[in-house]
Amino acid sequence: MGFILRLAWRDWRGGELGLLVIALMVAVGTVTAVSLFVDRLHQALLKESATFLAADRYIGSSAEIPESFRQAARDLGLETADTLSFPSMVFTADDRNSLVSVKAVGPGYPLRGVLRVTDVPFTPPVVTTELPEPGEVWLDGRLFPSLGVALGDRVEVGYATLEITRVLTSEPDRGGSMYDLGPRLLMRIEDVPATRVVQPGSRLSYRLLLKGEEGALETLKADLGIEEDPNFWWRGIRESSPTIGSALTRAESFLLLGGLLGVLLAGVAVALSAHRYARRHYDHVGVLKTLGATPNQILASYVGLLAVVGGVAVSFGLLVGSGLHLAIVAMLQSIIPVALPPPSVRPFLLGAVTGLICAIAFALPPLLHLKNISPMRVIRRDVGAAPPSQIASYGAAVAGSLGLLIWYSGSIELTAWTLLGTLGALALFGALATVLLRGGRVVGMQAGSGLRLALAGLQRRRKENTAQILIFGLAIMLLLILLLLRTALLDEWRNQVPENAPNHFAMNISPEDVDEIGVLLEANSREQGGLFPMIRGRITAVNGIPAKEWEATHRSEMEDGPRLSSGRNLTWAEDMPDDNALVAGDWWDAADTRAMVSLEDDYAEDLGLSIGDQLTFDIGGETLDVEVVNLRRLNWESMRPNFFIIFSPGALESFPATWMTSFYLERDNKQFLNELLSRFPTITVIEVDAIIAQVQSIIARVTQAVELVLGLVLASGVLVLIASIHASRDARLSEHALIRTLGGTRRLIAGSLTAEFAALGLFAGIVAVVGAEITVLILQTQVFELGASVHPWLWITGPLIGALLILVVGLLGTRQLIAAPPISVLRGLN
Amino acid sequence: MTALNVIPKGEDEPETMDAVVIETRSVAKIVPTAEGELAILEGIDLEINAGESVAIVGASGSGKTTLLGILAGLDVPTAGTVSLCGAELTALDEEERAKVRGEQIGFVFQTFQLLGSLTALENVMLPAELRGEAEAEQDARDLLAKVGLAQRLDHYPRQLSGGEQQRVAIARAFASRPNVLFADEPTGNLDTRTGATIIDLLFELNAEFDTTLVLVTHDDRLAARCGRVIEIDGGRIVG
Ligand SMILES: Nc1ncnc2c1ncn2[C@@H]1O[C@H](COP(=O)(O)OP(=O)(O)OP(=O)(O)O)[C@@H](O)[C@H]1O
Ligand SMILES: [Mg+2]
Repeated sequence: MGFILRLAWRDWRGGELGLLVIALMVAVGTVTAVSLFVDRLHQALLKESATFLAADRYIGSSAEIPESFRQAARDLGLETADTLSFPSMVFTADDRNSLVSVKAVGPGYPLRGVLRVTDVPFTPPVVTTELPEPGEVWLDGRLFPSLGVALGDRVEVGYATLEITRVLTSEPDRGGSMYDLGPRLLMRIEDVPATRVVQPGSRLSYRLLLKGEEGALETLKADLGIEEDPNFWWRGIRESSPTIGSALTRAESFLLLGGLLGVLLAGVAVALSAHRYARRHYDHVGVLKTLGATPNQILASYVGLLAVVGGVAVSFGLLVGSGLHLAIVAMLQSIIPVALPPPSVRPFLLGAVTGLICAIAFALPPLLHLKNISPMRVIRRDVGAAPPSQIASYGAAVAGSLGLLIWYSGSIELTAWTLLGTLGALALFGALATVLLRGGRVVGMQAGSGLRLALAGLQRRRKENTAQILIFGLAIMLLLILLLLRTALLDEWRNQVPENAPNHFAMNISPEDVDEIGVLLEANSREQGGLFPMIRGRITAVNGIPAKEWEATHRSEMEDGPRLSSGRNLTWAEDMPDDNALVAGDWWDAADTRAMVSLEDDYAEDLGLSIGDQLTFDIGGETLDVEVVNLRRLNWESMRPNFFIIFSPGALESFPATWMTSFYLERDNKQFLNELLSRFPTITVIEVDAIIAQVQSIIARVTQAVELVLGLVLASGVLVLIASIHASRDARLSEHALIRTLGGTRRLIAGSLTAEFAALGLFAGIVAVVGAEITVLILQTQVFELGASVHPWLWITGPLIGALLILVVGLLGTRQLIAAPPISVLRGLN
Repeated sequence: MTALNVIPKGEDEPETMDAVVIETRSVAKIVPTAEGELAILEGIDLEINAGESVAIVGASGSGKTTLLGILAGLDVPTAGTVSLCGAELTALDEEERAKVRGEQIGFVFQTFQLLGSLTALENVMLPAELRGEAEAEQDARDLLAKVGLAQRLDHYPRQLSGGEQQRVAIARAFASRPNVLFADEPTGNLDTRTGATIIDLLFELNAEFDTTLVLVTHDDRLAARCGRVIEIDGGRIVG
């Protein structure tokens, strides 16, 4: 033991171990920091998004939730609260009325998130922890003008008379779907029996909100057998808010991928520095062997050394990782206002095991090889330096990476794609690098002396340089992949909710008010989505075949797609809406008086409809036959009124319609709603601004996390570059020392190094761009389900960045080599 | 790591002046090359007695270094047998040969072969450390003092001149109190004056520790100081 410690100490002192220790430390540190941060952010985001549900999960049903469910949840230590939602009419004392969406809640509501209330409609709200008392209701702001009521007035809900005590601005689980929202009325679930509205056939939505440990929630889900029971459904954030759910899923995939690439890069750095260490110890081992060290003793020493070094590196790595993560948290405190929950042990475990695997898979093979060094090496340098078994060391590295990737990502799919991309890229790169190096020599023939020297150097160490181009290329490629994916993700998210997208919908506008409201909106809001007539109707037949029958034979398998025969909002328009795009057929001519219809592309595809089909509609009891003439694509993210089915102007004009529109209102301008609703009491306004703001804030936070992980992975990428430069330093060192003793000037050497690194970087950049484009294409389409894209700019910037990066890192790494007098270089070599 | 189990020297076989320490029978070394097999050594029969000093001389490329490597158990012959201090080297595996080396021999090289990451003192302590002996330092200091480097204990090889490095190497070679000391052109890299100092030192210590000395050299003066000269040419002993 003492000998190993001495060996370790002496190597450390001599700077032999520095890079290996640092590489291991960075591997452990990166993984620990990234996973600590991701772990905590993930928990925080889940908490934050749970406020969309007012709970962590809920059990939904159209029937009352049995008491046994509540008991089971409480037994597992979960908190519960009940809600019941239904549409109902409310009446005032002077007999004004309005359709409202009632939410009756029990004590404890909301389990997550907060209620915001105010005393004057459309004024800034405050957070409250209270609920309406039994006998009281809180009303949505827009009900006050339309019902003509004030706080303290009474309203009737069914048979119950309740007192209005607050203006309700928002509650967490308002929901993302905008069409089922009437203005909200919040009351106590205890008052529901008195209303006598709960009768067979009423549209009721019962929820049992749940909050608590993830494990307990899963246990409850399994215990109650909810998956199998069609009367109940189990919901979490992913199921109930697809926008946020998919953003979270993708962000997690990305963070995982980022961390995973970080580990791979660090692994490469470990392997490189371990190889260099081993190579530098060939002579060392030769001498030890002449002094009587046995192969087993050598083996034990170096394995022991690795254990010591690994132990130290892992400990420091964990420390550095936690420190780094704390720094990040502190740095982002202002951007991430979510209070972070304490971290779990998993990140630390992950970091430690990563260090262990890196040490075993990447660093051990070259050290194991040391025991086979022949003592004859001491007198004849060419013996005993047979390269380590390629299969053993590459096999170990691949197996190690595989294990790490799977364990780290928990996703075989992601791992398989990453590995496939990497291996494919390596094969391709090998060929490409060889071609580039060959080409380099041809160019070099005509070049000046520094460049010629550099290119000759590149040629001479062709094998090493091919390997180095591969490693540089791989590192740059991984970084490019992350960068491209990040850009694609962020674009996608930004598009999800465009700025100034309409954040209010006005519906139920009567035809005679259309012009006046149009003018009013023009004057008061910045963006409007256009006014559309809205007529309810449904398809009864396609080409003479009854809708039900058609559906049975033509509808695609997708369960959740639209149904042919259900009632829809229809509209008609002279011109195609601005943000729609024609996919097939032609838009109609205003002069054409035939009855024609335009369908949304996906809708048509799901139901097996195509241009030329004859559709029969039932609108208010009347039958109408129309022909499908074109297909459109919608922009669902635009937050404008969108219609699956648009008729040509002539066809629907005779039917009674109400109109709808969407518009953008700034927060300060909310008072306008009061004015609008007082003047047109019958129209319905739906506010989605709170939901949009919430989505935006979550996406902003996820974005931060993504950027951060990218930064950390970049750091490990640079480490690989440094390790790789160091690994090739010894060869360059002797060569350049020799050239200088032969009369080469410092400038010549510097010039040659510059050219050599620039060429290496350029080649690596080319190789990286090819690999990144292919991998990103695959990842985007297969894992992240984003559209495919090519990046022409990359083909120019990639190689340039590669050249610049390698040049800077390379020159920094070899600057003593240029600065030192040649004699010291020669002595250092001994 | 466990300490190497050392059989204390002299317990098994008392040393006598004319005991044979090295014996070879029909040793040959044949290596495959691109142009076919190349015989570097052929039919080497040799006996060296305890306490002898033997110089191996010959033209460059005649096979001296190869022979020395085989005699010291650093390499194995392709044919024939070699025994060193009673151990049949050719019958041992590398593990066991290493033990024999650790216990029986010392080595001085033309290129010094000090470990660059270790100080002079640590280099000299190395053999003892390899055997797991704790108290090696005082002995190493004494040896370094004997070779005149008492003031340079903590210097690294790169801070020492060639002659000084070779003196450290000699101190290290004697640190394991070897029965046989092998030296491959110990003065080859040194100027005549320094070479002479090194030779004096070598013989001085050789006498003091009663070691058998086998060295390869081109240096006539060095060869002349040895009790016996073996000349090889084209892989065969010619005189
Ligand atoms: N492993 C090997 N493969 C091929 N040839 C070898 C090998 N080992 C030694 N030789 C050749 O055997 C011959 C003898 O080598 P050796 O080093 O023993 O010579 P030497 O007498 O020590 O020469 P010098 O005085 O120059 O040191 C040389 O021609 C050498 O090239
Ligand atoms: Mg020789």
